[in-house]
Order: sequence, then C-alpha cells, then structure tokens
Amino acid sequence: MPEFQVVRLSEAAQSLFSAEDVERLMRAEFDRALRHKFSLVVMLVGVDRLGQLQDLYGWDSKDEILRAVVSMLRGSLRDSDLLGLTQDDRLLLVFPHTTPESAGLLARRMLAGARKLRFDRDGRSLRISLSIGVSNNKQPSELSFETLVAVAEDGLSVADGAGGDRFVETELYQLYEKKRKSRSRARETAGLAPEAPARIVAAVPSPEAKKSEGPRLTAEDPIGLALLELLAQQGFEGGNFVDIDPEMVATAIRRAQEARTAALPEVQQVPASPEEILEKQRQIEILERRIAKLTQALGMTEQDLARVMAMKGIDSGLPSVYKNVQGLTGGEPEFERKKAMMLTILEANLALKRELEK
Amino acid sequence: MSADGKTGDATKEKGLLYMGIDLGTSRTSVAASNGVRTTLSSHVGYPKDVVARKLLGKEVLYGDDAVDHRLSLRFYRPLAAGVLKASQRTSEDVEGNMKAAADLIREIIRLGKPKADELVYGVIGVPAQAAIHHKDAILKAARESLDSVILCSEPFAVAYGLDMLEDVLVIDIGAGTTDLCRMHGTMPEDSDQLTNTFAGDYVDDQLATLVRKRYPKAQFTTRMIQTIKERHGNVSDAMPSVVVDLPVDGKPTPFDVTEDLRTACRSIVAPIVEGLSQLIATFDPEFQHKLKNRVLLAGGGSQIKGLDTAVEEEMRRRLGQGRVMRIDEPVYGGANGALKIAHDMPAEFWEKLK
Repeated sequence: MPEFQVVRLSEAAQSLFSAEDVERLMRAEFDRALRHKFSLVVMLVGVDRLGQLQDLYGWDSKDEILRAVVSMLRGSLRDSDLLGLTQDDRLLLVFPHTTPESAGLLARRMLAGARKLRFDRDGRSLRISLSIGVSNNKQPSELSFETLVAVAEDGLSVADGAGGDRFVETELYQLYEKKRKSRSRARETAGLAPEAPARIVAAVPSPEAKKSEGPRLTAEDPIGLALLELLAQQGFEGGNFVDIDPEMVATAIRRAQEARTAALPEVQQVPASPEEILEKQRQIEILERRIAKLTQALGMTEQDLARVMAMKGIDSGLPSVYKNVQGLTGGEPEFERKKAMMLTILEANLALKRELEK
Repeated sequence: MSADGKTGDATKEKGLLYMGIDLGTSRTSVAASNGVRTTLSSHVGYPKDVVARKLLGKEVLYGDDAVDHRLSLRFYRPLAAGVLKASQRTSEDVEGNMKAAADLIREIIRLGKPKADELVYGVIGVPAQAAIHHKDAILKAARESLDSVILCSEPFAVAYGLDMLEDVLVIDIGAGTTDLCRMHGTMPEDSDQLTNTFAGDYVDDQLATLVRKRYPKAQFTTRMIQTIKERHGNVSDAMPSVVVDLPVDGKPTPFDVTEDLRTACRSIVAPIVEGLSQLIATFDPEFQHKLKNRVLLAGGGSQIKGLDTAVEEEMRRRLGQGRVMRIDEPVYGGANGALKIAHDMPAEFWEKLK
C-alpha cells in the first residue's frame, strides 16, 4: 500500500505529487482500462455532516477525521488503487481491475470501517459515517472519465440526501455523458480548455514513498503469485527485476482480481449480519423511491407519446375495462357449474396441447 | 381472479385484454373486454404485382376491401367449412391460406384495439366437431397474435354467452357449417354435438344451381348469389317477390328468383331438424320435451327470414313439438360467448396455456 498524504488545501501546492499528477494518473488508468477493456470503478466518498463537525469542533477536527478516514480506507485499497482529495473535502477513488460487483463489497467494507471510527471531543465520543457514490466503466456505450466522476458525484448526493451511511450508483451514465459532450462543444466553441471535473487538490501518493515504503510483494500475495506465474511464462525465473513493465503488473493484478471475483459467491454465502441486512433494506428503500420516480417520468413520457400519436392520427388502443361481462364470481348462482366447465375447457385444451406436442 | 372464484373482476389484472373470437367461414367477429366489438368478412388479399401494390397503397387488404379489389389481388378466403383450408390439405396453396389466416386473425385483433403494452388472451370458437389437425392449424395461426389461446366449441360459446347452460339445443348456422349442441348443465361432450355442412355456402350453391337451371343465359358469380341471399333470404310461403338484375350478354336483365331463393333457403331446414332429432332421441326421455322447447337459433345463417318458424314447423311434423328462439345478435353471439368464457377463465388457467 503506498503512503497517502492527506494535506490541507493550503498545502496542496507544496505536495511532492501535485494535484494535477493525481488526476493525470487517474485519467491514465481510465484510458488504460478503456484500451485493454478491463473494468474500473470510481467512487466518491464523503464524510456525513463533516461541515457541522467542523463548525462544532474546529478545523483540526475535520482534518483529523479526514486523516482517520483515509487511514481506514487503506485497509480496503490496493497498490494500484488511486485516491485524491477534491475541493469539497470528498475523496475520489479509482479502482482499476475491479468489477461492478466487487465495488459493492468494497463500499460495504468502507462503510463498516467508518462506523467503527471513534473521536473524542469535549468528553464526548463522536461517530462518523460515510456516503459513497459509485460508478463503473462497464456500460453499453463508451464513456469519459468525467462522466464516471459525475455519476459517482450524483450517487454520493443521493446517498447523502437519503441520510448517509450508504452507497448508491445512480446509473445516469447516458445523461451525464450527453451533458458533458454538450459542455465540451460549448467550451471548444468559446476556445476554452477542457474542464477538469475531478478537481483534485490533494491526498496524493508520493512516488518516493511508493518505492521505499510500499508493501513488499511476496509469493504469498495473490497478485505476487500471479505476477510470478506471468514472469515464468515469459521465461523470467529468479534474479532481480529492476524494472517490470507496468502492463505486466496490470495483467497480474487483473488475473488476481478475476480469481478474487470467482471466489465471490463463496463469500456471499456467509450469512448476512444485521448491519448488512439493514443496509440492504435501505438500498431497497432507495430503489423503490427511484422506481417511483421513474414511474412518474414514464407516465409523463406516455402522455407525451399519446399527444404525438394523436397528432399523427395513430390509434393507441383502448384499455381493457371489462365493459361487456363481469367475470366469474363466487356469488353467481351458476358459479360451481361454470367453474367446472372452465376446468373442463382447460383440460381439453391441455390435452390438445399435449397431443400436438407429440 | 383466483381459481376458487372468491374474487371477481375487481381484482382482475390490469394490462390484460380478453377477446372472444368467432372465426367464421364468411365473417370473423370479435368482442373485447375494452368494449370494442367488430366484424370483418373473412377475406384476405395481397396485391398481385408492384402496379397493384402501388395502386392500392397496401400490402394486405382485408374484408370487403379485399373483396372489392379481388381482381388485383391474390385472393384468399382462408376458412372453409369453419376450419382453415390449409388444415384440410386439399387446398392448392396451403402456405398462402395459412398466412392469410394468420393475417386475418392479426387484423381482427388489431380491430379490437388492444393497447400496445396489453397482453391479449383470446378464446376462439371452433366448429363443434373440428378435427385435431384443424385445431392445430387455428392454434398456429392464432399464436402469432395472441399471448394465450383457448379453443372451445362454437355452439357452446353461444349458449354460455346467454347463460343458457341447461336443457337447451343450440343451432349455430355459419357459412361453412351448422353446429348443433345439446346443453345439459355440464360441458358438452362429443356425443352432445353435431356438425354438418348444410349452412350458408350450401344455400348459395343450391341457389346458384336453381337460377342457372331456370335462367341459363343469366351471368352471375357466387359473390352475387351470396349478396342476393343475404339481402332477400326468406323461407316463408308469403315472402315478397324477389326480382334481381343479372347481366345477359352484358346487359342487366331483371329475373324473378323468389321461388328459387325460398327453395334454396329451405334446403337446410330438413338436415337441421334431422340433426336435432338425433340429439333429442339420444337424450334422457324425461327431459326430451324440455330440449324441444328450448332451441336457440344463432349464427349469420339464422338471419334468413322465417327460418325459426320453418324449423319449428318441421320439428312439430317430425318430433311432435318444438319452440325455436332466435338470439338477438346472430353475428356476435359466438364472440360474446367466447368473451364471457375468457373472462370467467381463472388467471392461472390462462397461465398454463401460454
């Protein structure tokens, strides 16, 4: 795990790894994922009610909480994962070689980790929780990095609005991609430089630290094992490798990730904890609200369609309202007789069906 | 609606449209649970060539539209004797008839105005004694347009639609077949039903033969004869005289066809009563008089004027007594009954037949 340095906004410029560098790394990883068609997940993490905590307990408290959160996140991140701090004190994470399914597990782990954090202030023990927006590049059409960040931002907003302590993926990819393209065209027309939606300002891994303080890759580690296998396949055995092709490392990571994903069903068979059940219930609640919202939007769309069809003289049909007959009810005098007749008709038709299938 | 029938239409699922379809040789009628009820002559036509297609502006023509332009069309009347011609395997164009039948069913369902997202469940009336390969052909044609299909006997559908389930004899006179059905409180079995071909088409053939014999120079088509029958059909001794214009060497000439028309229309009475006699004679003797006094006359052929009286007279002559009632809506009797069956069929039954 590389050393992550969380710095204040004022310190960003003095950081060894500039904000631009982090964003460049994230974009490079995104481009690589696009080129090699591997999955990549983007998360935007916010600490719930962080502004209020800062107002109550001061700037240092906010800084301490952010440091603690980043420290906790280390437990969920791999060497290849990237993390940055955005202007609005949110953490942007990029997980290469991570499937959308694994993203859910990762997010849950982060949420559970944050719930365990404790801060003592004025004799009181403070607890925190996170809101996480999730997005991934495994979509039917090609998307930009900006769109993934925008979708994650939207998810974070929904999670935060719903009370926090949850993760959300809004799936509004096409909407944000369309908006981005529109903005991009406008900026091009105006002669402006492309926008930088990530707005990374700090929380960067130091390249020096990565070399000197990063964890040792051993044969016990799944990635290390996969890498060794790859090297053996290429004819490299033993000896020191001063410079390993990053692409080869990426391949090893992907294989290890695939192995991890393959093992996921076993993990899922573990009985869910009360917290997980609660989380699922919250997710269901959110989904239901989203469905209600979509249904409302669908109703409006149907009205529009009906209007257009009426203008073009297209017959949209009539809804079934059972005008002619009332259906079989238990109160009818001939109910039992008719019920038996319906059963006989069914049996005759089933027999016919069987006969014809022979 | 549940199978135990404890709930009624209040719990009917939305998004389902039930249809009752009377697939007839001459006319196809539909009654739907959205209140739509319509009928269409069972003719389908496809433009013969590019010129005809351009002129007509359609790929397929149905009903009277197809009849009116039949000279420019590959013209099909896909049902004969109440069943698909394709299933008789005697037709020259089996594939064409099958396609025409499927298109006809699709059109009649479209005329039923289902909403785009509605599932359509249909009950189709078939002749009482249709063979299994006829039913197979109808099912194949219908499955392209219906989400679930049930076949049932046409005369049973008529009786069910009128809630006359006990001690009733139904006569359903179509163009291709006349179906007779004995209702005695349970689902009619094969022995309760009879089908013969003394129906509308038979009357047309008889009339054509008689007119040709009496007026050899008169020129006419089956369609013209059918129109004369539908407009003036009567079996009464006191029927008004019927004089029609038929071309002779290209010149419209008036011909009196009163006697021939009466004779042709009467030609189905005796076979119908013969069928009724068989059904009555094999019924419980204690209840035979009830059957004789509750005879329902349905189908397009029942619109021949005086037919109910003629059947009554023939029944009295052969069976000693008889009372015949004409149903109010001959054209829609089968479709209405099929729709009622569709509604009364529990939802889970429909699911089994998807």
